[in-house]
Amino acid sequence: MSEEIMYNQQVCEEQTKYSENSDSDISDKLFNEEMDIEEHDVNCGNEECILNGRCNTNDLPAPSTLSDLIDGLHKIFAHQKINVDFVRNYMSMYKSNHRDWKKFAKFDQHRYTRNLVDEGNGRFNLMILCWNEAQGSSIHSHANSHCFLKVIDGAVEEELFQWPTDSESEHAMTPVQIGTVKRNEVKYMCDELGLHRVSNPSHTDKAVTLHLYSPPFNECTIFDERTGHQQKAQTTFWSKFGKRTPFGKTGGQCTIIEAENN
Amino acid sequence: MAQSLQYFSSSSDSEFHDENSEDLSHSELDVLPNYLTHDPQTWKSIQLSFNNFTVFPEELGTFVNLVNIDLSNNGLTYISDSLLNLSALQNFTARNNLLDGLPKDFGTMRTLETVNFSGNKFKEFPMQLTELENLKTLHFGANQITYLPNAIGNMRSLEILYLGGNSLTEVPATVGSLNHLTALVLCDNQLNSIPPTFVNLRKLQSLSLHNNKIATLPPEIVSLNLVELSLRNNPLVARFVQDLFFKPPSLLELSGRVIKIERVPYSEKDLPSRLICYLNSAQQCVNPMCKGVFFDSKVEQVKFVDFCGKYRLPLLQYLCSPVCSYKPAYAESDTDSEHSAKSKLKKVLLG
Repeated sequence: MSEEIMYNQQVCEEQTKYSENSDSDISDKLFNEEMDIEEHDVNCGNEECILNGRCNTNDLPAPSTLSDLIDGLHKIFAHQKINVDFVRNYMSMYKSNHRDWKKFAKFDQHRYTRNLVDEGNGRFNLMILCWNEAQGSSIHSHANSHCFLKVIDGAVEEELFQWPTDSESEHAMTPVQIGTVKRNEVKYMCDELGLHRVSNPSHTDKAVTLHLYSPPFNECTIFDERTGHQQKAQTTFWSKFGKRTPFGKTGGQCTIIEAENN
Repeated sequence: MAQSLQYFSSSSDSEFHDENSEDLSHSELDVLPNYLTHDPQTWKSIQLSFNNFTVFPEELGTFVNLVNIDLSNNGLTYISDSLLNLSALQNFTARNNLLDGLPKDFGTMRTLETVNFSGNKFKEFPMQLTELENLKTLHFGANQITYLPNAIGNMRSLEILYLGGNSLTEVPATVGSLNHLTALVLCDNQLNSIPPTFVNLRKLQSLSLHNNKIATLPPEIVSLNLVELSLRNNPLVARFVQDLFFKPPSLLELSGRVIKIERVPYSEKDLPSRLICYLNSAQQCVNPMCKGVFFDSKVEQVKFVDFCGKYRLPLLQYLCSPVCSYKPAYAESDTDSEHSAKSKLKKVLLG
C-alpha cells in the first residue's frame, strides 16, 4: 500500500487495560465538542480536511445499524492517517442488533467460523466470527496489521501472550493477562502488543464478534502453547457476504498449512 | 445432503419465525398469554426464553403439534409430566435454568432429536436420556455430573455430544459405540484419560479435551480422522518418560508366555478354568516385530507420535519387556529425546 496508516502508539498501550467502557461518555466527548484541528484533525493528512480546517470524520453521526457503521468506516479509512482511539470509539458506539448481522451468523459444530462482511475498498476487512460453546482460536499474531475486535453477542475471553524469545529451546507459553470482553466492548490488538488467543468460555451461550483488520491479510503465525513453536497459517472465510465459501478439502484430512480461521 | 445442513446452523432464531411460530422471548411472562392457549394445536414452535417460567407451563401440554420449544433462561425448577403429551416434539432447549431432574418417562419421547440442558443443576446424568434412541444432539454442559452411565452407549443416533464444564473424572468405554458421533466435547472436566474405544468413532471430526487432567493418550487416537483437536491445559507428558520400574515376570507369566508364543494347544479338559481365563487374557506386545505377549508384567512407555502433521501426542503403550523397542509404523518420528526434540518437527500444535 502506497499510503501509510499511522496510529497513535500511546493509545495502543492503553488498550491492555481492561477498564469498563462507559459508552455514553465517549459519545458526548466525541460529537459535542469541537475538535481542535491542531490537536487531532491535522493528523488525518487529507487535503480537503486541512483546507476546511476540520476533519470531516468529526461529522459522522453515531452508527445505529451495521450498515451505518460500515459507511462510517469507509469514510474514516478513506483518509491517509487514522487514529486508533477514534476507530475504537466509533466502533463502540454501534449498539449490536441481531437483525443487522443475522445473515452473517453462521455457526459450525467443529470450529469457529469467519464470515466476511465488507472488503473496505481494500483498506480493511470487516468480518464476523461465530463461536459455538467452548470454541477458541490458536495463539496467533496479526501480520503487522491492526485488529479491532467488538463483541456483538455473548462474551469472549482474551488471553494475551508475549512473543517467544528466539532461543532454540522449547518454552511453554503462559498468558500474561486474561480478560473478558463483553457485549459491545471493543478491543485493539497488533503485533507490538504481543499475541493472543480468543475463545468463547461459555458452555451454554454462543458468542459473535465483529473484527476489523487493516490492512487486510490472509496469512499469520500460530503458536503451540506447550513449546512456543510457530507455524504459518492461512486465514480463510467460511462465508463471504452471507454466502458459504468452502476452502480446499473438507472433512477428514489435515494439511500442513492449516486453514486456520482467526 | 444431510451433512451440509449441519454446517448451515445460523442463529437459532429461524425456528421461531416461520409459520405457526411465536417468539415470546424477553416478555416478562410467567403464564402463557390467552391468544396462544386459545388454539393450542396450531403452534409448531414457541420461543419462551428469558421469561419467568419457574415451572413448566401446564397448558403447553395441550400444544400437541409442537415441534420446537425453547424455555432457556427462565429459572425453571421443575418439568411436569404434561411435557410428555407433546408427541411430535423434536427440539427441546432449556439452557440456564435450575433443573436437577426430568420426568420419569422422559425417555418415551422418541421423536426428540435435539435436547439442550446446559447450565442447569443436574448432579446426575438422567438415565431417561439414554432411552432416547433417535436423539442426534445432546447438550449437557455446565452441570455438576461426576459420572456418565455406561448406558450412554445406547444413544446410537448421537452426532453431537456436549459434556464440557462438568466434573467427570472418566468417560465410559461405551462412548466408543456411538459410531455416528461427529463432535465430542469433553473440555473443562477432570478427565485423567480417554478410553481406547474412541478408536471406533470413525465419523468423529472434532474432539475437545482442553482443561482436563490428561497426561497421556491411548495410541489408537492417531487413527481418527480429526479436523479439530483441543488439548491445551492438560498435564501432558512433555518429555519421553523412561519406565523406571519393571517387575520381573512370575513363573506363571513365563509359562503363560511360552504356551502362547509356542502355540501349545490347550483346552478346558487340560487345565482348571482360572488358568484358561488367565491364558485368554494375554495381550500382544505393541512391537510388531516382536511376537511376544504379556499378562501382568509389562513396561509402560510413552512414545511421541505425530498426528496429522500437526500434533505431537504422548501415547501410552505397553511392551513385553524393557529391551523390546521398535519404530511404530504410524509414527513419522522416533522416540523423543533431548536431541530430537530440537532438531525434529517444528510443526507442533496443541491448540
